Parts: sequence; C-alpha cells; structure tokens
Amino acid sequence: MTDTTTTDPAAATGEGFRWIGKPVKRKEDPKLVTGRATYVGDVNPPGMLHAAILASPHAHARIVSIDTSRAKALPGVVAVLTGAEAAEVVGPMTAFCAEPVPQHAIAVEKTRYWGEAVAAVAAVDRYVAEDACRLIDVEYEVLDPLVDMVEAMDPAAVKVHDTLEGNVVFHADKSYGEVDADFARADRVIRTHARWHRMGAQPIETAGAVCSWDPFTASMTIWSNSSFYNFLPWSFASMLGISTSRMRMIPCAVGGSFGSKHLLNKVIAISGALTKVTGKPVRYLEDRLENIAANDNVGCDRIYDGELAITDDGEFLSLKLHCIDDYGAYFQFGPGQHGCALAQPVGPYRINSLQYEVSAVLTNKVQQGFFRGAGADHGNFILERLVDAAADELGIDRAEIRRRNFIQPDQFPYKIPSGNVYDSGDYEGVLDRALTLADVEYWRAEQKRLRAEGRYIGIGLATCQERTAYNATEWWFLYDNPPLPATSTPESIKIDIDAFGGVRAELGCPVWGNSPQTVASQVIAEEFGIDPADVSIEHNDSTSGAISAGPGGSRLTVMLSGAARGAAGQLREKMIRIAAHAMEVSPEDVELSDGVFRPRGVPTHTGLTFADVAMKAHLFKQTNPEGESSGLVATYTYDHPLASMPTEDRKDTGAFYPIVSHACHIPIVEVDPESGLVTMLKYYAVNDCGTVMHPKLVEGQVIGGIAQGIGAALMEEYRYDEQGALISGSFREYLMPSSHEVPEIVLEHQETPSPVTPYGVKGAGEGGRLIAPTAIAAAVDDALKPFGVWIDELPMTPERLVEVIARAEDRAEDEESGR
Amino acid sequence: MKPAVFSYQSPRTLDEVFGELAEHGSDARVLAGGQSLIRLMNARTETPGVLVDINRIPGLDEVTVEDGVVRIGALVRQRTSEVSPVIREHTPVFSEAGAEVAHVSVRERGTVVGSIAFADPCAELPTALVALDGEIVARSTRGERVIPAEQMFLGPYRTALAEDEMAVEARLPALPTGRTGSAFLEITRRHGELPVCGVASILRLDDDGQITEARISVGAVGDRPQRARAAESALLGRTTDPEVWREAGELAAREIEPRPTVHGSSAYRRHLASVVTRRSLSRAAARALEGAHHV
Ligand SMILES: Cc1cc2nc3c(=O)[nH]c(=O)nc-3n(C[C@H](O)[C@H](O)[C@H](O)COP(=O)(O)OP(=O)(O)OC[C@H]3O[C@@H](n4cnc5c(N)ncnc54)[C@H](O)[C@@H]3O)c2cc1C
Repeated sequence: MTDTTTTDPAAATGEGFRWIGKPVKRKEDPKLVTGRATYVGDVNPPGMLHAAILASPHAHARIVSIDTSRAKALPGVVAVLTGAEAAEVVGPMTAFCAEPVPQHAIAVEKTRYWGEAVAAVAAVDRYVAEDACRLIDVEYEVLDPLVDMVEAMDPAAVKVHDTLEGNVVFHADKSYGEVDADFARADRVIRTHARWHRMGAQPIETAGAVCSWDPFTASMTIWSNSSFYNFLPWSFASMLGISTSRMRMIPCAVGGSFGSKHLLNKVIAISGALTKVTGKPVRYLEDRLENIAANDNVGCDRIYDGELAITDDGEFLSLKLHCIDDYGAYFQFGPGQHGCALAQPVGPYRINSLQYEVSAVLTNKVQQGFFRGAGADHGNFILERLVDAAADELGIDRAEIRRRNFIQPDQFPYKIPSGNVYDSGDYEGVLDRALTLADVEYWRAEQKRLRAEGRYIGIGLATCQERTAYNATEWWFLYDNPPLPATSTPESIKIDIDAFGGVRAELGCPVWGNSPQTVASQVIAEEFGIDPADVSIEHNDSTSGAISAGPGGSRLTVMLSGAARGAAGQLREKMIRIAAHAMEVSPEDVELSDGVFRPRGVPTHTGLTFADVAMKAHLFKQTNPEGESSGLVATYTYDHPLASMPTEDRKDTGAFYPIVSHACHIPIVEVDPESGLVTMLKYYAVNDCGTVMHPKLVEGQVIGGIAQGIGAALMEEYRYDEQGALISGSFREYLMPSSHEVPEIVLEHQETPSPVTPYGVKGAGEGGRLIAPTAIAAAVDDALKPFGVWIDELPMTPERLVEVIARAEDRAEDEESGR
Repeated sequence: MKPAVFSYQSPRTLDEVFGELAEHGSDARVLAGGQSLIRLMNARTETPGVLVDINRIPGLDEVTVEDGVVRIGALVRQRTSEVSPVIREHTPVFSEAGAEVAHVSVRERGTVVGSIAFADPCAELPTALVALDGEIVARSTRGERVIPAEQMFLGPYRTALAEDEMAVEARLPALPTGRTGSAFLEITRRHGELPVCGVASILRLDDDGQITEARISVGAVGDRPQRARAAESALLGRTTDPEVWREAGELAAREIEPRPTVHGSSAYRRHLASVVTRRSLSRAAARALEGAHHV
C-alpha cells in the first residue's frame, strides 16, 4: 500500500477543491474532434506493406492442405504465410489460462471458429492483399461444429482442442460460508433461470498494429491500439520471439475499446510475422467484418440457475449460482470473467453465504475477452432477477425488499462471504433519491391510465454494484495452481517542471476513449494550484519504464489520480523546501496557493511564483537548501490501495475489487405485445461513484454505458447457425441502439467518497452497462404483468418477447381450465 | 472490405448504357445511388467487371404525371420521391412507404428505381409498388418493354430484368379519388432498418361504406412483396369493422409463405403479417372514411 491517506469527507464532496469535481475542458477533445489524433490507420512508415487475412469459412475443420502459389504470383504481393509458416517466426499467442489451449494468430492444422485466419498476405496495398487472399487454395476436412454449449459438455462430443480431455475446460464449485445451514433455516427458496447471449464491444475503430522489424539490430517497433504495452510488454516480445529490451511499443489513439483492446495479440502477431519475413513495416488493421467475427474479445455467453434462500419477511440468507459459460474456441484469460463476477455476486445486499459453480465450456465460436462489465454484468442480471422474484412471491414491493436487505452505511468496510471487500456506500440514499427523481407515483398513474387504452408501459428498478479498480489476483484466484499469480496492478506517471515553471506529465497509459489526460491535469493542477490548461500531457511508450495496467476494470481514474497526486506531491514538497529556504522561513510555514509560495498566513507577502521557484531549482544549486539536487522531475507508481491476497485454501478471495460504486436505475418502457417491440420512454439513474472527478466525464461514461445496456437488453447478439457460421456478421444483422433508441436519460449523483482512494474517487466506466440490462428486463415484465410475463433471457428481441407472451398466455389458459 | 478490380464507365446517354450492358451482360452492373451495390462490392458479394454509372445521364431525374400515371425516372432519389407533392397527391402510399426507407442521408442518394431493381424482399418501395399495380419500364438495345410490378419480383434480389436491360422508369397509376384510403405500416427492429414486415394497403368504399376495392401488398415476410389475394377478395362487400381487419390479417398471414432471416423466424413473420395487415387496413379505412387519401 503506497497511499492509504484517509480523505477528509468534507473535502471529498468537492467542496474545498479547486479543480477536482469541476467540468474543466476535456484535454483529449481538440485532437479527436478535428481529426488530428494518430490512430493505427494513420501510421505510415516508409515502404509499409498492408496485410489481409483469409478467413475460415468453416467453424471447425482440419486444414488438409494450403496452396499459396497463385497468390504469391500476383503482382504486388510480397509475402503469403500459412499458419504453419507463421508459427516458424512467431510463437503462439499469450494466454493466461492454466490449461493447454494453444492459440496461433493464424490457425495451424485446424480452424476452430468461423472467421479464424488461415493465411495472411502482405502486399503493396490492402486491395491487392485481398485479391491475393482469394487466390489461396485451401482444402478442408470439415469436422462437426460445436455450437451449443450444453451439447459441447457431453463427454462424447467432438473436441475443440485435442490437448484437452473434453470441452469443459474449467470447472469450479466453491462454497463460501455456511451455505447448507443457511438454506436449512430458510422459509423458502426462490429459483430462477437466466440466459444471457453473446454480445460484443463493436468499437468504431477495429484492432490493428503496424510492426516494423529491423534485422540489423534484431529489434521491433510496434504501433498498436493495445492497452497492455506498459503492463505486459514482455508477453508480446516472447510471442514475437524477440528480446524484451529490443522491442518498443508505441501507443496510438484508440477509437473505442469497451474492454476489447487489452492484449490484441492477433493483430500484433500477424503484422509481426509478416514484417519479419519481408523486412518491411507491415500494417494489419482488421476490417469491420473481421472485427465482428474474430476480435477475440466478445462478452460472456451464460446460462444461470440461481437460488436465493429467504425468510418470509424477505430477508436474504444465502445464494447459490450455477453457471455454464460458453467461452468460444480459446481461453486467453482463463476463467477471469468469473473472478470478476465474484467481486460482487451478492450485490449491495447482506447475504451470509454463497455457492458459486461454474463450468467454462469451449465451442466453435470466437473467444471471450473482457467486454465492459466483464462478467459482473451477467451476475447483476441473475441476482436482481432473484430479488425481483422474491419480492413478487412474497408480495413485497420491489424497492422495499431491497431496502430491507441493503448493507448499511455503518457496516463498511464490508467483507462479502467470498472475501472481496466493499469500501463504502449508502445504498438506501441512492434508492430514495432515484424514486424521487423518477417520480414513480406519476408513472404508476400513467401506467394505469394507458392500460385502459390497451397500452403497456412498465417501470423497472435495479440497485446494483459497480466494482471498480481491479487487482490482478482477479485473473487467477479460481485456480489452485495459477500459471501467473501476479499481484500488481500499478499505474505510473512522470512529471517534470521546467525552469520557467512549465509542467509536463507523461502517462504510462493510452487514451482509450476515456480521459486520462484531463484527469491527470486536474489532479496536477489541484496539487500545484495552477490551471489544468497549463499542464501538457504526453503518453509514454513501452521503453519508458512507466509501468501501467492502463484502462480496464474501471480503474484508471482512481489509479491515475493516485499516481499524479504522488508525483506532484514530491515536486511540491521540493519546491516548498526551496521556497522556504529563499524566504528564510521553515518549510512547514510555507503555503502554495494560486501558483504562489508565501509564508503561511501572510497574504500580503509578494512570495515567490511557481516560475521563480522552478528557475531556482534548475539553475541555482548553490543558493538552494544544502543537499537538494537540481531540477524538478518525479516519477511515481501508485499501487492498489486496498488489495489483499487470496488465501491458500481459496476459501477467501481476498480484496481484489474493493472500490465499489453503486447505482439505482429506473427505466420506463412501453411494450407492444403484438409485435414484441420495446420502446424506451425515459430513463432515470442515480449514480454514486464517490467523489465525482469530473461531472461531464462521468455523465458520458454512465450515459454511454446505459446506451450499450439498452443494446444488451433489446438487440445485440452474436448468432451462429447450426453449422457454426456467424449469421450476424455485419451491422445489418448485429443491431446496436442508435440515438433513436436511446431515450432522454436523467442522471443525478450521490457522492459517498471512498475512504481509501485519492480525493475519494471511485470508478465509473462500466456502471451504465452493468445495470441497464437488468433494469430494463424488470421494466418489461412490469409492463407485461397482465400477461404474467417473466423475463429471464437477454436480449429481449421482439420475437422472443412475442414467444414469452404466448407461453404466458398458454400457462394462464391451462390454469384457468384446471389442467 | 475492398472491392475486386473493376472498370468504371460513365456514359452520358442511355444508348451508351444499353451498349455496355449488351456487350458485358452479367459482368456489368448499373450504378445508381450505390447504397446497396457499393456495400456488396466491398464485401465482394458482387464482383462486376464493369460498373456503368448512370448518374451523369441527363433527363432521368424527373417526376411527371401523364394520363393519371406518375412516372419516376431512374435517377429520382428516394428523398425526392418522398417529398414530391405530385407523388403525395396521386399515390400517397408511395410517399408514406418512402419515408420509412433508411435514413435521410441514404435516401438523398439511393434511387427509387434502384431500390426496385435491387429487389430486397423487405424493401418498402417495392411493397408499395405492388400495392399500386405499378409498372417498370425496361429498355435495352433490343427495345422497350413494360413489366407489371407483380411480375417484376421473382425472389430475393431477383427481378424479371434481363442482363442487358436497364430499368429506366417506374410508373404508378394514381389512386382513384373519393372514398379511397391507403396506408403503409411496418415493424422494424430499429429506426431506419429494413422492416421485418411491411404492409401497403388500399381500400375504396362506396357511399354505404361497403368495400368495393381492396389491395394488400405484404413485404418482408415472403421472398418478395406479394399481394394477399384471398384477404383482398374476402374484404369485398364488407363494411369497415375491426373484426373484418382481423380476419383479413389472418387470411393474409396464411397465404404468404414466410422466409426466415436473422431478424425473425417464419413463425414470427407470419404472426406479424397478420398484425401489420390488420393495423394497415384499419388505418387505410379510417382515411377512406375521411374521404381523402392524405397521409
Ligand atoms: C444504412 C442503409 C440503410 C438502408 N435501409 C433501407 C431500408 O430501410 N429500406 C430499403 O428499402 N432500403 C434500404 N437501404 C437500401 C437503399 O434503399 C438503396 O438505396 C436501394 O436498395 C438501392 O438503390 P440505389 O439507387 O442506391 O442502387 P444501387 O446500390 O446503385 O444499385 C443496387 C442494385 O440495383 C441495380 N440497379 C440500380 N439501378 C438500376 C437500374 N436503373 N436498372 C437496372 N438495375 C439497376 C444495380 O446494378 C445494383 O445491382 C439502406 C441502405 C443503407 C446504406
């Protein structure tokens, strides 16, 4: 723990801060909105070649032979590589699973999903490269495709990987606390099933890399939109077969990630292999179809059975979750998405014990990664559905049952049965505010009025956690023998102040669609009493030593604030010492305000300006305090403020995702029961991410997340046919909400500062998407209450809703006729 | 997503177009608004050797009326057609359908005739064309022929146009005046999307409120826009009543053979055919009763 300063709660609510919590201009914007940012597609080293891939038209097939001679003969083609040929120059892709599930960027021997690369071409432009792909002759022996995860679990099923005993690549059944005893004393057990289909991030910019190999120094320069260049750069070097000290990864602007651009091994391996064989820089930038089909980072695809043990008073006692998760063809992060779900399986509720069973299944589909929510989104869905079912069964209002079970403000820090810790919260405060904000009484009256006209509107409610600032133990604590039991999730910054007082910061992380430049400049300005606009920001490449886990797991604002405050604090102390010496007072008696150093309590003193002191530090060694080195440079690495180790027996996961935000969402929907179409009428949300670092940025994150949550609730879905071919491979089939489908969103903040983070901030990057789907599901079954509809499957496509309504009507008829 | 190699022609006269099409046959494609063709070329679903761009040919961008027939030239944009007062006056259901096509930016480029020639089974304008008993004028070096709408559409993306023919004009007979009402209604999964079901209907009533003429064209359910003939006949002589629309909807759903897509199974589409036909008829009837066929 580098920094455990407890924040003054008064200060943490934004009062007393000059820049924290203020809507300063977003530093990232001018370049982005004027088209001046450099994306992978803008990197054009001289002589660069363009790569294209030939994608497998089969979900599961043995590659009998590949003949690339016709492609090689095409004018403009420089190199063609099959998977086997590429494997001679680059190794398998990095994976963090314990099981033997090797993955090559270009398939070797077998293709395991529709759209997987089977060959790659480097040519003078992408047109010729694509022409050449059509001249590659591949003979396939088509194998049975595994499309259904339950069928894939059958021991007799054909195997996706011959290195495994079956397709259940990982299974765990964990009990935390006295589950049996809690179920034994329960008055009833609420059960529900839940199905959440596969969705993807669909960033506007696809994944890509430019790799440039220098055979004379055996070194490689890589430009990419990966975010792990300062976290795990060695993993790329070992995959590429080069020395870690001879690789330089340069970050590019990233056109959206939503979690889908952590590693990006595939594009780096393909460009890397081609630059090694051609000796020229090569760019491989996925096109839209490749990104949808083969991005390696789709969301979870889960079947849940949940049981909630309760008393007749509506008190929650214990929870059992059984989950089957379709991981697709590979297992790059192991069961990390369940590590993530275990951050908050019991939500904001007091639940004494937990059983968590998961079967991770491999099938012939593109694999999972960490997509916004990263597995906790589905956890919220099953839990909130159980809570709603409990309320409905007991005849208790859905808000009231939550109120009865919330963890209370005086119970923090609160340790959940599985071991994660929640730092702080005031859940009832958020709920009350949301109910007022949404004017639920008004909507209930509207609902009644419109029902008389044959219209069905519904009011949803969900109260969910947003775990933020992960620690690396999340990736492996489900393993007894993890392959890489890492425990660091650092964030670094370097700040230097020049002789004129100019402040520059270098970040270890990229701009991923979030706003690290703005946040770093706010913190630095706060600490120095200067204007954020005067702080210039650069991004370091992988050779700087600025280790950084980067954006992901809603950690960056929290962790970067810690790093920036740490480095700025060191420089401020040094400047205070120099100023004190010059003004002949003791350092404790110097204050820095509005960029001027003065003796404390003497506002009339002319003092020394920031630039005065900077000049002294740079050029006046002999008149500075004795032993003070010249110059003003500080680097600072901030480690996780509240992480602990999983126990040896794994009965306790340790604290690994303890900075916990919370929100209550109340969507209002209208359903046309005949067509199954759902229209979002209005959306209310009260969010609590501790101290709001920047209201506009948080608003953007929450509203964007809700929009993605609307997609998850209503339309987004990867669909494969029986042969395993992707039939939602373009945006004509994979539908996402547009501005027409997103209603007015009314957002308010409650601020319950974290006691352990700088300024009391918590993460806010995923909450919208973590909560909206389950809130909308609740709204839809509220709308369709007259039909007795219960939503347990997402997305609620119109067709699914029509079926659900028909089934509910059949049930009602059966009941009526006494069958 | 880069197209295969092709050669690009930009003729200034129709005769040159016919010449190119006669010479290259199935290897040539007419380029109109490009809103469907370019996408397919980028995906290499379409790999024409010769692209014949008709956009520089004068005189094809006019909407005229002659002897009660609206004529829409091959370069009339969907947006122009949608807002044309002439089309709104004579064939309002075509305007109403046109407003549902894609988004304004697409409609500013995409052409009416291109949409018809493309023959997407879900497309709104072909559905309205079939309801209106419209026609397509096809020309080639061999001469000109007129194809009735119902014979134009053969299946998904398949039309009666021969390889060497270009569609030069769409013709829409004006709706009768008096107690005639029409409506286009659709269900889309998202704003601006192609429908999962779209129904154009036209109803004519006599002074007693009895139905004397009924036309129902169902799009997006089957493999092409189709008339629901059984439902149409069942409506004749009936009066305007919700039960009548319900019956007609059920009949229409039964007579169209549905085609499943990722956006809806056959069963769902059949179900929608019934719902949307009923709603479309009800709206057309309300308009007929108002005695005007405004939209
Ligand atoms: C985002 C988006 C959304 C869309 N949504 C919808 C929608 O909701 N509903 C809908 O109906 N359409 C939709 N479309 C398709 C759009 O309406 C197209 O414009 C239309 O299908 C084709 O018209 P075009 O003029 O662009 O033809 P092009 O794309 O140029 O050509 C299409 C095909 O027709 C042929 N063709 C074109 N003109 C002629 C001619 N005169 N004679 C012979 N052959 C010809 C071409 O050779 C080609 O094969 C959408 C398109 C986009 C990009």
